[in-house]
Amino acid sequence: MRQGSAVPSMTSRERVLASLKRAPVDRTPVCNPTSVATVELMDLVDANFPLANRDPELMARLAATSHTELGFDSIMPVFSIIQESSALGCKMQWEQKDNWPTVRMREPIWEDVDDIRIPNDFLLHPDMACVIEAIRLLRREFGDEVAIIGKTMGPWTLGYHCFGVEPFLLMSLDDPGKTKLALDRMKEATIIFGLAQIEAGADALTVPDHATGDLVSADYYRRFLKDLHIEFVERLPVPLILHICGRTVDRMGYIAETGIAAFHFDSKNAPAESMAVMDERVSLVGNINNPETLFAKGPEDVRREVYANLDAGVQAVGPECAIPLQTSVENLREIPLAVRDWHAEHGLAR
Amino acid sequence: MPALSDIANAVIRDEIEEFLERPDEIERNVALFAAMRPAMQDIAAALIEGDNHTVDALTARALEDGTEALEIMDDGLIAGMGIVGIKFRENFIFVPEVLACARAMKAGMAHIEPILSASGVEPAGTVIMGTVKGDLHDIGKNLCIMMLSGAGFEVIDLGVDTSEDEFIAALEEHEAPIMGMSALLTTTMPNMGKTIEALIDADLRDDVMVMVGGAPVTQEFADDMGADGYGKDALSCVALAKKLMEEHGQAGR
Repeated sequence: MRQGSAVPSMTSRERVLASLKRAPVDRTPVCNPTSVATVELMDLVDANFPLANRDPELMARLAATSHTELGFDSIMPVFSIIQESSALGCKMQWEQKDNWPTVRMREPIWEDVDDIRIPNDFLLHPDMACVIEAIRLLRREFGDEVAIIGKTMGPWTLGYHCFGVEPFLLMSLDDPGKTKLALDRMKEATIIFGLAQIEAGADALTVPDHATGDLVSADYYRRFLKDLHIEFVERLPVPLILHICGRTVDRMGYIAETGIAAFHFDSKNAPAESMAVMDERVSLVGNINNPETLFAKGPEDVRREVYANLDAGVQAVGPECAIPLQTSVENLREIPLAVRDWHAEHGLAR
Repeated sequence: MPALSDIANAVIRDEIEEFLERPDEIERNVALFAAMRPAMQDIAAALIEGDNHTVDALTARALEDGTEALEIMDDGLIAGMGIVGIKFRENFIFVPEVLACARAMKAGMAHIEPILSASGVEPAGTVIMGTVKGDLHDIGKNLCIMMLSGAGFEVIDLGVDTSEDEFIAALEEHEAPIMGMSALLTTTMPNMGKTIEALIDADLRDDVMVMVGGAPVTQEFADDMGADGYGKDALSCVALAKKLMEEHGQAGR
């Protein structure tokens, strides 16, 4: 038991950072390591996609709504997973207000390891500078009150974007040595962007690296990524939140051996089973279902899933991944409300 | 009843013994491969191992030896992919391995397809396939298309990022009885429901059977949005397409 009335009242920032260390908290924080941007929130603060992904002031304004309008304990300004890929030269589809920007992975920019180039002015690219400036703006506005979480893509995901998903996965099978070399070169992009966000004021970093059980085996995670994630923990001096969508419980044991602070997990993994595998070695953040619950159902269903996570002892509650843009604000607001109610009902007990 | 030892190819025997667990699937595959010529078993074995060069060479040789293209496709390629599909479904293998097998199948189909096209075999049905608007992922969809094509369906591939209007235009042009939608992202899954609503608005919903799939998609989600069927993987997609055709009295070959 690590929480309850014995713990003095905390700020949102203190609460999130404590939860990432599995330290005592006054209540479980509500956290969004990926994105809770919605069309409704865009309208509310007049900060619309696609521009809110490219203009630091709009990015910060839309990101802040997760705290000011929804009552979450963290703010995540990086809504998508494409900033670095844009800076690396991938062809982009910025889309409209009601759709996510995305990388045209069918038009890859690299074919071989020797093609990998991280430009010297990587951080000066407008889509990188936008994130860094948005974090500065948010830190200035919210001071020490709210946890500002940055996001830097892991090399496996960059591989999908830059080589194309199919060529990258085939390379991993045909030539594992070459794939490891490619990952080793791409990891520098993760480090460079991560350090820049820490310098700008990020309290923690989400590292999406989509080695999901829907695509690759747990052994793939062990062979290709585990050591790189250990290196990220060593070189990025803030708590890291690894994000992998889909089925992951089969690789959580390996993830727990990396020293990473937290794992943002998907609703395909049962909270209690995931907690048992992590065994207090890594904090879990999640795992309210997006498409079926947050998007398509009502507050009562959201509340049920929040309670299931809290009953299991999950350290921070939030959506499983970036939410559909048409998700209702009412459902998102239900998450912090349900967390408070659960604590009111359970007091110290867990 | 045929026994495992009746299968000449050792790789096939090992695959069935090691990876197949359901009695009905073991029985069906033992019977299937035991009745097959050894040369076809060799093609299937190379495909299961993801060896596209060997599949390419063996397919070419089999055709030279006078084996019918349809026999090579059904016995060597499709039967091999059947084992691959089961291994994928049961998490013995994952997408990279399936992609390698698909690459091997394509190597064989490159010889077979021109012959089948020229022979004018009636397709089992026509299927419109696309990844929904805002989603650029297509591995799953492409595997489904490959398996559907192998099963005799004519497939119209609309690619990725397919708008409601593009689905509707394709349905009107091809008058296909089945439409398949794929999504990999939880953020784009709702566009499946939007597309179904657009079909209703266009007065086309009663003319087409809609099947959906993709890593985050579930049967519950499919039911909620009003799809006619959900396929968990490429094998299920083919079974579903056949079932939908039968239910609507349109079964082909």
